[in-house]
Amino acid sequence: MKTIALLGQPNSGKSTLFNALTGSHQHVGNWPGKTVERAEGFFSQGEELYRVVDLPGSYGLTANSAEEVVTRNFVEHGNADIVCIIVDASQLERSLYMLADFAGIERPVMLVLNMMDVAEQKGKKIDVQKIGKLLNIPVLGFTASDLDGYPVFFETLKNAIEKPSEISSEKIRELALASASEGRESSPVVVLEKLIEDLNFGKREKFWIVSKLLENDTLVCAEVEAAVSPELWRKIRNVLDDEGPNGGLITGEAKYRFISETLREVASAAAKTVKLSRFDKIATHRIWGKFVAFFILVITLAVSMMIAVPIIASCFGLQGVVEPLVVRACESLGLWPAVSSFVNSVIVSGLAVTVAMMGFVFAILVTFGLMEDTGYLARSSYVFDSWLSRLGLHGKAFMPLVSGLACTGGAVCGTRVLDTRGQRLFAMVLLWSIPCGAKVSVVLFLASVFFGSAAPLFGLVYVAMILASFWLSSRLFGRKLVPVDERVGMIMELPPYHKPHWKILLKTVCRNVWEVFKKAIFVIWLISLVFWILSYSRDGLVAHSLLYRIGNFIEPFTQIFGMRWQLFISYLGGVFSKEASLGVMSVVFSSSTDAFSLIARNEAGANLGEMMRAAVSLPEALAFIFASMFNVPCVLTMGTTYRETRSAKWTAAIAGYYFAISLGLAFIVYHIALWVL
Amino acid sequence: MCLSELQENQKGLIQKINGDSRFISRVVSMGLPPSSPFLVLQNDGRSPVLVYSHDTMIAINRKECAQIDVEMA
Repeated sequence: MKTIALLGQPNSGKSTLFNALTGSHQHVGNWPGKTVERAEGFFSQGEELYRVVDLPGSYGLTANSAEEVVTRNFVEHGNADIVCIIVDASQLERSLYMLADFAGIERPVMLVLNMMDVAEQKGKKIDVQKIGKLLNIPVLGFTASDLDGYPVFFETLKNAIEKPSEISSEKIRELALASASEGRESSPVVVLEKLIEDLNFGKREKFWIVSKLLENDTLVCAEVEAAVSPELWRKIRNVLDDEGPNGGLITGEAKYRFISETLREVASAAAKTVKLSRFDKIATHRIWGKFVAFFILVITLAVSMMIAVPIIASCFGLQGVVEPLVVRACESLGLWPAVSSFVNSVIVSGLAVTVAMMGFVFAILVTFGLMEDTGYLARSSYVFDSWLSRLGLHGKAFMPLVSGLACTGGAVCGTRVLDTRGQRLFAMVLLWSIPCGAKVSVVLFLASVFFGSAAPLFGLVYVAMILASFWLSSRLFGRKLVPVDERVGMIMELPPYHKPHWKILLKTVCRNVWEVFKKAIFVIWLISLVFWILSYSRDGLVAHSLLYRIGNFIEPFTQIFGMRWQLFISYLGGVFSKEASLGVMSVVFSSSTDAFSLIARNEAGANLGEMMRAAVSLPEALAFIFASMFNVPCVLTMGTTYRETRSAKWTAAIAGYYFAISLGLAFIVYHIALWVL
Repeated sequence: MCLSELQENQKGLIQKINGDSRFISRVVSMGLPPSSPFLVLQNDGRSPVLVYSHDTMIAINRKECAQIDVEMA
């Protein structure tokens, strides 16, 4: 088996290539001991099996973030048979920086000039063969979204592995020395090279090590410090301190010179005046840009939902057909009624809910995929960055956070647009507090039942509470998940617009939805099972369920939060789904004949409001409304959070955090209300 | 002068980048090393500045702009 490492800057089309190569043979996990996502896939060509490692995207190889550390460790010490560097041919000069930063690592390498079609449209002429000759490595002109080009890719890859070639940093070194103002010998490059003369750096050229020292790269500095005597390290440190942050400028300038000298002979572009396009003028406008972002998000979500809604509807329809069948089948087989109840409310209904919710996940993933593919996502990040950076998040988090209003569980999957795991986890924490439509309707329903025309006031209070919870979360989680010293104020690329790659996009989305479904269904079944056991009784009466007994037993405790057992049970129903909590209330507050269940989607009875007003005091109602605001969103959100974090610990931690907030809030509100009212 | 002092459609050359190594490596790897020519695409006085350099459109916060010395070209 041969291992290929994919290395490239963001927006270079690296993931398009990865997805096209590996299709459904992908595995996503964590790098050992790291919280960085490791995407790996397989494909075979002829008799050979290839393993593809998709390295986290970064603009260069200096190890500033957890992702970059992973990338560096793999290119330096990993066991790749070839490192495949992908660059955007339409932005060749900037994009080749990755190759220049890599030069000096003695590993087989090939260069893929991606998006040749876009480069051509922009009037760029690139002599691919000549680049190959100049750099002395295999170079391929390519368009990753065009599946017809892959046979040539495979051939180049095979040859590159059979006849490995490396790229040296010699030319960059020469350029760095040529610019030394006080002569070559006194240049920090030569001084440092002499100081580390006796050390062996394995598969890395000395200049590469020196340039990383000059860039103050944490990994190389630590490595050199460990390898030399303290005295020698002090000498090295002195040279570095004399240069200060300038060291990185010397090497950076040399790398770009190397690129432009290479390209001078082989690439030409039609002279064109660069201007902001008319659309970009609006899309990046301080005020209009925000409206545009909102509008585009809502429209795209709505259109993708239209594809998903028929699936959702037919799913619930099917559930209605299947359930009586299950009951009849169980009866004719002479099974316990408990069996049919179990099959219907755990297996069938869990499946129906999950499939239906996949509609939201699909819509959100298609929407975000499109935004990323077309390059629009970066514009929306640009206009919202000033808001989100206050929380420590990247502007990109705007889209997933707003989609939370449609479906929290789906939006959790949408956090994939964020670059680091810390950012993703933090965005998920915030997302759990953003109410989806169902949660809003439950809260407003209760508010209007108890407070009539004052209900809209609750809407305002709710918004204020959400902002307060953002503040709390950023205090509690933000600094840990997104370390302050890793935050760089916005310096962001706004990539050129592209046509979306429908085929690859839809394939990737469908595969992702399937992956989410597989994980989520187990979580949902598991939680459904627990809830079913708790609420099962032979005659469907609440008073005969386990939950009733537990509820009564812990009532003295739950009453601290202003919740009698009926309310506490409804609160737990809300953990399952918001729709369920109204159904639960209908049953526990009325003598309705509906069988009690925590997980069935019972309709809220028409007179639910009246009954609740009669049975629940105002302080209790207030406590319950506030508890509902920050209750755990739903079982699907737990399922997708588990799937996206791949960590039961984190999922439990986030759930625990929201239990604490919602119950704490109920406690405070209840006691203040008791005192005031 | 610093980057945000240039007006829309003015061209400039990067002279010096001030800041720690992390900041410098970020700016350099994004395509704005010293002596790169660039064009200011948008500078409305409040939002981040948009510049074009090395075939790339880059948005830079105003606070970060203050750390980048440029000269008019």
